[in-house]
Amino acid sequence: MNYLTIALFLAATLAVSPVMAADHASHGQTGAVASATAPVDREKVWKEILAKPSLAVSADFDEKGRLWLAAMRGQHIYVSYSDDRGVTQSAPVKVNAEPENFLGDGENRPKIIVRKGMIYLSYTQGLAKPMSGDIRFSRSTDGGKSFSAPITVNDNREIISHRFDSMAVNGKGYVYIAWLDKREQSAAEKKGEKYNGSAVYYAMSDDGGISFRRNIKIADHVCECCRTAMAVDTDDYPVVTWRHIYDTNIRDHALVKLDGKMAPVRLSHENWNIAACPHHGPSLSIASDGIYHAAWFSNAPERHGLFYARSTDQGKTFSSSLNFGNFEAQPAHPYVLSLGSRVYLVWKEFDGESTGIFGMRSGDGGKSWSAPAKLASTSDVSDWPLLIGENNRAYLSWNTKIEGYRLIEIDAEIK
Amino acid sequence: MKRFGILSVLCLAVWSFALAPAIAAQDIKPFVRGSYQQIISARQGKPFIVNFWSLTCNYCVVELAMLKKLIKKYPKLDLVLVSTDTQEEEKDISANLAKFSLGKAEAWVFADSFTERLRFEVDKKWQGELPRTYFYSANVGARRAMPVQAISGKLEYKEVEQWVKQQYAIQ
Repeated sequence: MNYLTIALFLAATLAVSPVMAADHASHGQTGAVASATAPVDREKVWKEILAKPSLAVSADFDEKGRLWLAAMRGQHIYVSYSDDRGVTQSAPVKVNAEPENFLGDGENRPKIIVRKGMIYLSYTQGLAKPMSGDIRFSRSTDGGKSFSAPITVNDNREIISHRFDSMAVNGKGYVYIAWLDKREQSAAEKKGEKYNGSAVYYAMSDDGGISFRRNIKIADHVCECCRTAMAVDTDDYPVVTWRHIYDTNIRDHALVKLDGKMAPVRLSHENWNIAACPHHGPSLSIASDGIYHAAWFSNAPERHGLFYARSTDQGKTFSSSLNFGNFEAQPAHPYVLSLGSRVYLVWKEFDGESTGIFGMRSGDGGKSWSAPAKLASTSDVSDWPLLIGENNRAYLSWNTKIEGYRLIEIDAEIK
Repeated sequence: MKRFGILSVLCLAVWSFALAPAIAAQDIKPFVRGSYQQIISARQGKPFIVNFWSLTCNYCVVELAMLKKLIKKYPKLDLVLVSTDTQEEEKDISANLAKFSLGKAEAWVFADSFTERLRFEVDKKWQGELPRTYFYSANVGARRAMPVQAISGKLEYKEVEQWVKQQYAIQ
């Protein structure tokens, strides 16, 4: 393998503006909305959005400490690896041989998980109509030398919104993908009825990703364009969280374990009443001791900013939420990672001149936290921050237009 | 092109909104650092509404239809529309506003890809959710009584109408 391949690959190809708010989704596509949106050439605008380059880079470590990266460039997803914490990267390998359009703006990004020699990828393909997409999946069984032809996971094939995928792989190698799905809304519209929001669906593969079983609905009436999050519990069942719509427009979060028994519970209680989608979804990590750690954003008048809560009873109940981040600095896009009883949070802030990634750490399973510390900054556009863990070390994974891709060990930065 | 845009705005001012929907393209000003302060300074003491919207936000487009109704009934309403799209989409933005007879409203478009920077000048507490609307009340005495109200999400006609009636002292 050629090690000398340009580390600049990501920096150069992804050095572009992420399109904030570029897919403030297909909210309330009722007849009234359809006619109201008629004046603009929506399909043209949509195509322009799909053509915009994406700064999104996703990362994972394999068991040997090799860093794997997935990024969207043009009409292909590329996977590369690094054995020196991202400083130099292997020649990127094309995932999809046939060109496709991707959603790589806002909270969209490719997902990559590397386990036991397998590389799993999920992403959202952009379709012809505005705000439409399909959930796609590909895998590599030969250590990233080649990837399977992507398959479409959603079994509803209307040109509607199937977007905002999240993925998890459990100890048995079962692959789970959850996403937001507008099929109910589409069916209602055909009958001249209204349907509030999207539904959230999932599908699982018990053959390592060769095929997926039928799609199963998790819940109706969820917020249309916020990322979903998934993590695997210690009993190997996946747990999903998303921004739900309670009542007419209370957009707080819900969570459920996909064990066939649990009903969704309400994770957050800010009572954010908003007739819009904030484009700001939750994050979830489940520790080896079984504690659930969740982080999210709200802009409710009474309780706003970033929040963290933990559950010691498999998500049935959550602790009262911890409000963190500087609300005067646009705190955004929190991400949580647990490594045993150590828990990490990172998020974005903006001070008027530059964007900073802040982090804080808990050594006792999320009961108490360090003061926030600035881990990195940039003075132009950037991707959302992610956390990945390797050999008991937590890293911030972050791509920026100016500096390119960075991997920063967090314990070295937080005193 | 520019002259044509200015002309069309003038025409609209003359003909008012009760007439046929505007068809001409209007000037969309580039919204950069300092633009928000410029919008506010130009209106000291007067009531106005600043609405942030995007072509890709369906709630926003529904809201524009509501604003069309409102401005038709209350042509005095000083409405500033800021699109968070890019300058490349200027034609689509302009066409959209024209279709909603919002050609008289002062129109801007984000002209900096580092949108955090623009949002920060508007409001440190705004994370980019759309639509986002700011209501600037008229001065009562030397100060604004209810200085600025910020609302995220689609607004209802009635609540905006109530504010307009109060601010413009319309019975």
